[in-house]
Amino acid sequence: MTTCTPTPSLSRQVTAGCDENAYLCYQCKKCTSGCPVAGYADMHPAMIMRAVQLGQYDMIFDDRFIWLCTGCETCTTRCPQGIDIATIMDELKIMAREQGRIPPGTPSAAMLKLNYDSFVRWGRMWEVELIALDVLKRPTSAKNWFTLGPKMLLKGKVNPTLKRGDTMAMKRMVRTSESITRARAARAAAETSGGGAGGAS
Amino acid sequence: MTKTIAYYPGCSLHGTSGEFDASFRASARALDLILEEIPGWECCGNTAAHSINRLLSVALPVNDLAKVEQDMRLDAVAVPCAACFSRFKAGAHEVAENPATAEDVRAVVGRRYGGGVEVQNLIDVYHDTVGLDELRSKVTRPFAGLKVASYYGCLLTRPPKVTLADDPEYPTHMDEVVEALGCERVEWNYKTDCCGASLALTEQGIVDDLVKQIVADARICGAEAIAVACPLCQVNLDGRQVEIARKDPSWRGVPVIFLSQLVGRALGLDDKALGLKKHLVDIQAVMA
Repeated sequence: MTTCTPTPSLSRQVTAGCDENAYLCYQCKKCTSGCPVAGYADMHPAMIMRAVQLGQYDMIFDDRFIWLCTGCETCTTRCPQGIDIATIMDELKIMAREQGRIPPGTPSAAMLKLNYDSFVRWGRMWEVELIALDVLKRPTSAKNWFTLGPKMLLKGKVNPTLKRGDTMAMKRMVRTSESITRARAARAAAETSGGGAGGAS
Repeated sequence: MTKTIAYYPGCSLHGTSGEFDASFRASARALDLILEEIPGWECCGNTAAHSINRLLSVALPVNDLAKVEQDMRLDAVAVPCAACFSRFKAGAHEVAENPATAEDVRAVVGRRYGGGVEVQNLIDVYHDTVGLDELRSKVTRPFAGLKVASYYGCLLTRPPKVTLADDPEYPTHMDEVVEALGCERVEWNYKTDCCGASLALTEQGIVDDLVKQIVADARICGAEAIAVACPLCQVNLDGRQVEIARKDPSWRGVPVIFLSQLVGRALGLDDKALGLKKHLVDIQAVMA
């Protein structure tokens, strides 16, 4: 395990962002037992919860686990303490992205952004665009489509066209939500900075 | 009796899962259910919004729900895509339970959503809105005991406090629907396990592992077909089997069919209307 610098306010930031209290976790590991991707990274859900409690930013943000989380909600459903663990994973993804802490070897992080940008641009997500832009960014990913892509095209499984949504309304909602979120984050930061070390109360 | 409900197809049903859209519409027509597509609907925000912009992820589905409630004046919406269904349920749950969020969402959407729309997934539509007796009475071409494993995946049932699913670990409403069509239900282990979802775009190796476990278990438990109610589950379970079979020539494929296609077939609708030509694992043997 790498040496980490504890940052005690991590749990507070998580709580401020998503209203979930990681300190309720007592490490029963039901979340990890049911997690479909727990074996594919160094971290796993219960470890992430412990790291949040201990303020171990680096452990979380240097590992690819949070970017493999599919949001299947098994952890949230089974947690005996009722912690919405999947929402904490989302909050950590938001924090990692804001702080520029996305580790190499996590194409899923970029894919989420391509997906977000697509529906912001068109009002609706355009699946073909995601794959095209991903291949442009990471040419090696094209090999994943050599077998399946042509078969899907031949069967008419892929519809390359797009019907737009209400793009004006979408842009307005994106702008308003971003400005409200920024204002809330600024308020939360002002409150946290007054509290010093510790954690959630 | 004819009923009218709003319809939210979502991006995938307009994209890679046109046959899900076509078969759902065709089956609804045959069941005297009128579907009115929400005019100018927006993307629900899918997996991306809630891991990038939390407020937007709640506001987007609520905006569509407000259209149903206040522009269309309908009290129910059918959301056949499991991921969209999950976002709609989560959005409605958030604004009902959290007044501060509801206030922010009102500012983003530009109006208040009153909570008057029932969000229904594909299974709810057949099981509850149409009803099993009504469905059974309209079946003209029943299956002769085809063994079907009902696959729910993640978001139709989880988290249960939001979806209010019949049983989040072992739901059975989909089994009851396929039984009404003359199929035999298969009891199996991977009914609510995750197929890997959008990791199919970036982490194919992981998705292949998950799909292999799910499909192999269905086969071992006797399934001749897997029924799904999610466009991403269908693409993953069906499409990744092509790749799995390429690496392992001994792989025996199991067809993965939308529940709406099974319903449409039992209602006597023709193959073209149901989009039965788009499967990668051959379905001829089970749909003949």
